[in-house]
Amino acid sequence: MAHAAQVGLQDATSPIMEELITFHDHALMIIFLICFLVLYALFLTLTTKLTNTNISDAQEMETVWTILPAIILVLIALPSLRILYMTDEVNDPSLTIKSIGHQWYWTYEYTDYGGLIFNSYMLPPLFLEPGDLRLLDVDNRVVLPIEAPIRMMITSQDVLHSWTVPTLGLKTDAIPGRLNQTTFTATRPGVYYGQCSEICGANHSFMPIVLELIPLKIFEMGPVFTL
Amino acid sequence: MLATRVFSLVGKRAISTSVCVRAHESVVKSEDFSLPAYMDRRDHPLPEVAHVKHLSASQKALKEKEKASWSSLSMDEKVESLCFLLHKCGFGEKWLNVAEEGAADLCACKWLSSLPPVYRIKFKESFAEMNRGSNEWKTVVGGAMFFIGFTALVIMWQKHYVYGPLPQSFDKEWVAKQTKRMLDMKVNPIQGLASKWDYEKNEWKK
Repeated sequence: MAHAAQVGLQDATSPIMEELITFHDHALMIIFLICFLVLYALFLTLTTKLTNTNISDAQEMETVWTILPAIILVLIALPSLRILYMTDEVNDPSLTIKSIGHQWYWTYEYTDYGGLIFNSYMLPPLFLEPGDLRLLDVDNRVVLPIEAPIRMMITSQDVLHSWTVPTLGLKTDAIPGRLNQTTFTATRPGVYYGQCSEICGANHSFMPIVLELIPLKIFEMGPVFTL
Repeated sequence: MLATRVFSLVGKRAISTSVCVRAHESVVKSEDFSLPAYMDRRDHPLPEVAHVKHLSASQKALKEKEKASWSSLSMDEKVESLCFLLHKCGFGEKWLNVAEEGAADLCACKWLSSLPPVYRIKFKESFAEMNRGSNEWKTVVGGAMFFIGFTALVIMWQKHYVYGPLPQSFDKEWVAKQTKRMLDMKVNPIQGLASKWDYEKNEWKK
């Protein structure tokens, strides 16, 4: 989860997110360099004593400042596409969970080895204990094993929602009448938070997602499947 | 109206809709804009018309003297003669070829405070005068700070009269318990929150 006033990305909990953080650093550095260059040029334009206005027919300069941005764009596109294809790699998920968005809660279905279906509502402020995370904690978390590829099938029962867990690099729209798939592998145990990311009505800000990642051995013992 | 009152001198000049006032007297009053006009501009050093259109008697006499051979002019008169000055400053081709020892530094730009009458016939302001800075920035910065301060007052009023109380999760004890819980969960242990906590000594890392 983010701490208050956090601006940067959260630490990665999956290999894809680690790649995304590196890519973000790369793209942001290019952005900063270009912005700095433009600001410098603007500053020079505003503070010069020169008055020559004959600034047409500079063919060499125009060629350079067309080719150079094209090269920069390629340098951004190549890592981006690499990560894009990495997310689609075939990895044979061990577990499939269905996540259904409603107004304004999530339903999770574990139907691979049994029939576990439950709702996940945000804890109302009056139900919070001191130390709980307001607007983030839920009554029933999604319990999953670490270090195993997991497939999430995401859909909605009414309007558009979006199932998000930033630390895993996940954001998938929940669209009524459509099944969207996303996969991930978590590398660290812990509790990870996300919030609905598609406007869906009055309580759009109040339907968070909470994953509880536990070691595989403990997951196999079956605490999840006891209702 | 209020703005002009607030900013008094600058306000009247900046907000006035009169062309004459806004243009800092460098544009002739409400003329047909298709006629050549005089202007003091850094990037337009030789305006199409002279500043003074109707010469007085003494000015006419000076112009007559300038028409004669320049070698008959004294040094002072050379300083006064605009043609000579312009040549020395490099607006050369149009003017007669005169080369003289000691005349090299008779560039118009050097004689700022004592510009000769001939110069003033042709030009209203020297380059130094037209490029001078002003005190306008003080008005702007002062005005901006005033309005920022006023906004702060508005926000203070809102906090007191409009906003409700903060949720209980902002209480110090709650935040402390919450932070402890986040550290127990090892939230962002690589570069974020938990990475700044020393788990052995049970304190924040120095």
